Amino acid sequence: MKPGDLFRPSLARRLVLLAAIWSLAVLVVTGLAQTALFRQEAISRFDDDLFDVADGLYAGSTVDDQGQVDAPPLTDSRATRAYSGKYWQISEPGADGKLHALVRSRSLWDGELKGPDKGIALLRGAAGKPVYYDSVGPAHEPLRAAAMLARLPGRAAPVVFMAAEDRSALEKDAQRFALETAGVLILLGAGLLLVVLIQVRVGLQPLFDLQREVAFVRQGKAERVGGTYPSELQPLAEELNALVAHDQEVVERQRTHVGNLAHALKTPISVMMAEADQDKGSLAQLVTRQTQLMREQVDHHLRRARAAARTQGNRERTPLEPVMDELAVTLERIFEDRGVEIDWRAPEDLVFPGERQDLLEIVGNVLENACKYGGGRVRAIAEAIGPDRMSITVEDNGPGLSQADRAAVLKRGERLDETAPGSGLGLSIVDELARVYGGSISLDQAVLGGLKVVVNLPRAEA
Amino acid sequence: MRILLAEDDPDLSRQLKQALADADYAVDHAPDGEEAHFLGDTEPYDAVILDLGLPKIDGVSVLERWRRDGKTTPVLILTARSAWSEKVAGFDAGADDYLTKPFHTEELLARLRALLRRSAGHAAATLTCGGIRLDPRAARASVNGEPLRLTSLEYRLLHYLMMHQGRVIGRTELVEHLYDQDFDRDSNTIEVFVGRLRKKIGSDRIETVRGLGYRLIALEGEAAGS
Repeated sequence: MKPGDLFRPSLARRLVLLAAIWSLAVLVVTGLAQTALFRQEAISRFDDDLFDVADGLYAGSTVDDQGQVDAPPLTDSRATRAYSGKYWQISEPGADGKLHALVRSRSLWDGELKGPDKGIALLRGAAGKPVYYDSVGPAHEPLRAAAMLARLPGRAAPVVFMAAEDRSALEKDAQRFALETAGVLILLGAGLLLVVLIQVRVGLQPLFDLQREVAFVRQGKAERVGGTYPSELQPLAEELNALVAHDQEVVERQRTHVGNLAHALKTPISVMMAEADQDKGSLAQLVTRQTQLMREQVDHHLRRARAAARTQGNRERTPLEPVMDELAVTLERIFEDRGVEIDWRAPEDLVFPGERQDLLEIVGNVLENACKYGGGRVRAIAEAIGPDRMSITVEDNGPGLSQADRAAVLKRGERLDETAPGSGLGLSIVDELARVYGGSISLDQAVLGGLKVVVNLPRAEA
Repeated sequence: MRILLAEDDPDLSRQLKQALADADYAVDHAPDGEEAHFLGDTEPYDAVILDLGLPKIDGVSVLERWRRDGKTTPVLILTARSAWSEKVAGFDAGADDYLTKPFHTEELLARLRALLRRSAGHAAATLTCGGIRLDPRAARASVNGEPLRLTSLEYRLLHYLMMHQGRVIGRTELVEHLYDQDFDRDSNTIEVFVGRLRKKIGSDRIETVRGLGYRLIALEGEAAGS
């Protein structure tokens, strides 16, 4: 991955991000709702108990002759221990709008329960029904309280019965529940994210497959994009294949055009050369020189057209041995007057993974070179180098080349269209073709005395 | 010497006819494949200069027809096509030499002279062994009339075996006659060449005599060698 890729829009990232945001929202809302529900449920049970206490007070309270309210004896021992967290109180609404305690549990000690925030009005509005609210206790503990305004027989002024209990345990429960819920939801979220990641990876796999197939086509390992794809990608694959086919057709047509043009020029050049040969004038000399240049140009561009665009979709396999045989026989015929003798060896199981005419061009040029510049004796040995490479070593007994000349002949790294036409020994075209197939060519001093050319080529399984 | 020139370009034809006439050849000209085939089929030429890009019937087809009919007239192919696959195809069809356009007239004349010189001794003593015929002067061999395509080493091996047909020839003897002194001679060299030759002439024509060497024999039903 390149550094810039991090900021490039990514399908996978987009999908994962969307899923993550959505999941996060759902999980957070779920968590909050769960916690709220739990708390509500717990508080409602808590409130029921408080109501029981307040109602018990109301039911058991009596008013004596002086109008004093007597609370019933409550059995809960916690109401007698100071600051135990369980409190009750019977109050009366004062003229100042506040509640004043008439009787209170001993647990309150000298404290007093506070009324609801909205005060007596609220209680009056709901006379006979409990009002629940949060408050703070005498020991500054959080309280849940119930207050109910009612009238006792024998007393004109209404009385407020209040019960309260420390709610910190409940709060703790709610908090624990919230934490536990959060933990579970985080786990769930992580799981969801993992699933999304896998889903995206699996879901996008056909894209990666397609990319690999296209790379194969470009590298010449496949002729067309293969495999079957999901209905969304299949049309793309088909379009790619159509594009490849179109491209091949165009390239093929161009090659044919270049070839036809070059071949068509050859006969007129022959005619001009022959005509100029008849004459010794300055015009004839000019024509001779220029036709020679034309001839070299035509040869050069023909070879280039042949070497170009061979990588696409090559599924051909060419056994080496028959090619060596045909070339040896043909070349000995061509150089019959010089008595050139080609001694060649090639194991029959060597197969070249490419077009026959390319192999002919590679080996033919190397052999022709040896026949042309050698001293009449040529030795060509083909060997396997491991399971997928082979080498063809061609030696001659000619004068050979100096080290500097050997380097100049190949001009490694330079493209053929940049080198001057007519230069070299026809070896640059071999180099070019071999490299198209991932091969190479190297030059050395031959044991026979002349040039030694080693062509290294890929090898297909026999 | 009578030459058939099969070339469709009028200017080139005119020039070549002139050059050939100047070199004291009698020249017939055929501007298309049909006429070339007809002339080559009916007239006794010493050599044919055959352009491959002829109208009506292409040069390779004309050549193949002649060879199928047993015509052995030496043929020099003239073509604009210079790829090795095309050269090999030309020789496969039975060409004796190959010249790619554009060329200098002197080059053509030199090659024609060499071609005629090589085929001059055609009627000389040929060696036969059953269906194999070997013409030492032209350095050509055939099996049952089919021309063999041999490299010079294979040809030398066959020649030696034919000169001593019926006799068992040891490997050392064969190596000595195939190779000059300065070539290395590994032990299985001969096996390689015998193997290749067997593929080209038929494997049962060369017998392996265990521990001794090889023997060339005439197959049953074929006439015995001379």
